[in-house]
Amino acid sequence: LKREIKKIISAVWVGIICLVFSSRLSTMKAASICPNDQTGCHLLPLANLFDRVIQHSARMHGISDDLHSEFELYFLPSKNQIGRVSRNCHTSTILTPNGKENAQRIAREELAEIILKLLVAWRDPLWHFHQSMSQHDEFTNFSSNKSLEMSDMVHELRKGVLKVVEKMQMLGIISNSVGDTGSPEALLTSDSAEWRFMKDYDLLYCFRRDSNKIQNYLKILKCRIVPKHGC
Amino acid sequence: MAVSLSYDLLLLLVISSLDWSSTPGSAFLTDHNRMTSSGRSEKKQQKRERATPVEPHFTECMSRDLETFRCWWSPGTFHNLSSPEELRVFYLKRNSPSSEWKECPEYSHLNRECFFDANHTSIWIPYCLQLRGQNNITYFNEDDCFSVENIVRPDPPVSLNWTLLIVSPSGLSYDVMVSWEPPPSADVSTGWMRIEYEIQYRERNATTWEALETQPHTQQTIYGLQAGTEYEVHIRTKMKGFPKFGDFSDSIFVKVTEIPLRESAVLLTLVLTFGVAGILILIMLIVVSHQQRLMMILLPPVPAPKIKGIDSELLKKGKLEELDFILNGGGLGGLPTYISDYYQDEPWVEFIEVDEEDADCGEKEDQKSSDTQRLLGLPQRSVGCFSADSHPDDDSGRASCYDTDLSEQDTHLLAASLLPGQPEDEEAFLHPDEKAPASETNKSPLIQTESEGKPTWINTDLYAQVSNVMPSGGVVLSPGQQLRIQENTEKESQKKGTLGEDTSKLNKPQFQLLVVDPDGSGYTSEITARQISTPPSSLVPGEGYQTIYPQPMETKPAAPSEPNQSPYILPDSPQTRLFAPVADYTVVQELDTHQSLLLNLPTQQPPPPCLPQHPLKAPVAIGYVTPDLLGNLSS
Repeated sequence: LKREIKKIISAVWVGIICLVFSSRLSTMKAASICPNDQTGCHLLPLANLFDRVIQHSARMHGISDDLHSEFELYFLPSKNQIGRVSRNCHTSTILTPNGKENAQRIAREELAEIILKLLVAWRDPLWHFHQSMSQHDEFTNFSSNKSLEMSDMVHELRKGVLKVVEKMQMLGIISNSVGDTGSPEALLTSDSAEWRFMKDYDLLYCFRRDSNKIQNYLKILKCRIVPKHGC
Repeated sequence: MAVSLSYDLLLLLVISSLDWSSTPGSAFLTDHNRMTSSGRSEKKQQKRERATPVEPHFTECMSRDLETFRCWWSPGTFHNLSSPEELRVFYLKRNSPSSEWKECPEYSHLNRECFFDANHTSIWIPYCLQLRGQNNITYFNEDDCFSVENIVRPDPPVSLNWTLLIVSPSGLSYDVMVSWEPPPSADVSTGWMRIEYEIQYRERNATTWEALETQPHTQQTIYGLQAGTEYEVHIRTKMKGFPKFGDFSDSIFVKVTEIPLRESAVLLTLVLTFGVAGILILIMLIVVSHQQRLMMILLPPVPAPKIKGIDSELLKKGKLEELDFILNGGGLGGLPTYISDYYQDEPWVEFIEVDEEDADCGEKEDQKSSDTQRLLGLPQRSVGCFSADSHPDDDSGRASCYDTDLSEQDTHLLAASLLPGQPEDEEAFLHPDEKAPASETNKSPLIQTESEGKPTWINTDLYAQVSNVMPSGGVVLSPGQQLRIQENTEKESQKKGTLGEDTSKLNKPQFQLLVVDPDGSGYTSEITARQISTPPSSLVPGEGYQTIYPQPMETKPAAPSEPNQSPYILPDSPQTRLFAPVADYTVVQELDTHQSLLLNLPTQQPPPPCLPQHPLKAPVAIGYVTPDLLGNLSS
């Protein structure tokens, strides 16, 4: 009998402790996020998400920049390839705002969709680029690691942007029209073959440009939606 | 793929080499000249200008805010242009295949600048520029194509000011927080431009600037400025992710005068720290110098039991002869002196003393009783004086003799059979009072000994090997070093030259040990002939194995004053018939030429004939042959 009583008492204690801790945790969660500012408090997690995603895109742009300059070392540095490259970017079909005003005038949903479209469009080309890079012995391990990283980052960034969109839809900031409309199937049917004909260098140039676009659009979107948190 | 790449490379190399001489050089230096700074490119340009007559070209295109941009051109050298308006700027936006050349939207002929406003500026789209002169001569350079985001050089920040953060305790250095505002032209609030700042500072009269890392915030701390020196600070900006810096801002000057008031506190702290350090060093020195004493105090050595008269050092060094000498040396009177010499400093040394029976031994005066005998409580048969009476109360572990199990013959038998050193004559054993030892040999293959009529017990020493435990509870010991040599002439025939292998503790079974009894009747001469000299011991006839039996002693008048009677163990030879039971613990003296071991069997001193109060001092404990001793011997 004594043993049973002891067991019961210990179980009760454990239960009480668990309850206390869980309640504490829940209160702590709520407490830590919004310390002082109560007005825009519910938007703080969204701002954090945005910041992370923007950092991610900045890093992606940095890597693409590095790779691009490395490529220029192999090819002629003096020759400016810009003139002949522009026609060949496979993402030229995606209509993107090319100025600040355009970017500000465009609807948020559209902007988010454009970002997602761009990210989706680069998934496969980067993967194939990495494959072809790793087969060439000319390129260093450093470059091939970077290309792999770049290819991964596109995936991660797309997931991150989807999360942000979800959050925004949850908060009612944007409508639910933005979804996985930028699915790869839609794009692949239209320009499935184009990017395969691009040369590596052109691909890098195009991606560098597009990563900068993505970075810019994300920042603009953030500052439109959550302007008080670090713009 | 690799082949095509290399082909491309070659082709481009060839083309560029051709191009290099003719073109005025890339003025824009946009994407591909990321590595070079603008300064370097300008130098290249100037070189080319001087070198060859240069056609009109663009010197630079720049954007400050990612919304507009400007381009500057120069007319070159070889054209005699009357007015600068003759040259016209055309641009091409390559955002569609069917784009065409358009003229510059806004000229500024004074500066030879073409300004593109926001309506005419598109980001992420390549622009190509060309100059057209009279008669539609176009000067177009492929290198003059760029994207606007790559030519951005943001304006410097404005409203720089600084505040003193903290001054060091010594008053010699201080930290400063510099803050500023982002350039008004750059639209940071909408996030359109992401700007990083780089602070550079230098002393007033220095030539080189020190630069801190670029960071995106509008304030930064400069650490470690010296008081009393004036510093100059300026900042420049660049776009995050792009390499081009804008111009530097105007400089501000930072200066903090020295504060001498704090010196005393500083001095005090310095003195304190140094003093403490000095004291610590002194303590360390003291500890190190008196290390041993401290060690003795803190960790005293563990006392170990010592045997009176034996220095453990001697054992370690393997000086057996000396040890022998010590043990047996100088007569009994010699020992105490040794003892006192060795152990006077160590009062904690306890000696294991082996006493001897008193004088009322009668017949057994010479017989010594070993400890083991007493321990075992074995019947000292013919001795009646083994009584535990006159023992000094030492912790010697002596047992009083008792008369148990005397009558049990089986035990004796057992003991007899087991103990190699036993008098092989069981019958003699069994019939203790018989004087005539049976002439049968014992069945044991062990050493034959001369057995007396007297059942002798083991004349073992202090350390003896326990061979068996009797069911009655007694302990059966092997003879140890004491050789029991029975003077039994009748046993001569029975002697074999055997081995002491079992009894010796040496692990060299291939050696045959022969214990020679110098004491044996009639063999001493031979033994002496075989004697291999060991310095301190000289074989004296009549001495040798000290047995417990008074009889042999009686017949041998030689006084056992010689301590050292080492019976020698010689290699087996047919001549020597003598052998004695070899003890379990023997000392290897030498190796002779036949690779036989010469054992040194120090024996106990023969007890003085009933000298009163003569504790036997020498338990003859050289029973151990340690490997290093062996090494010493064999070496």
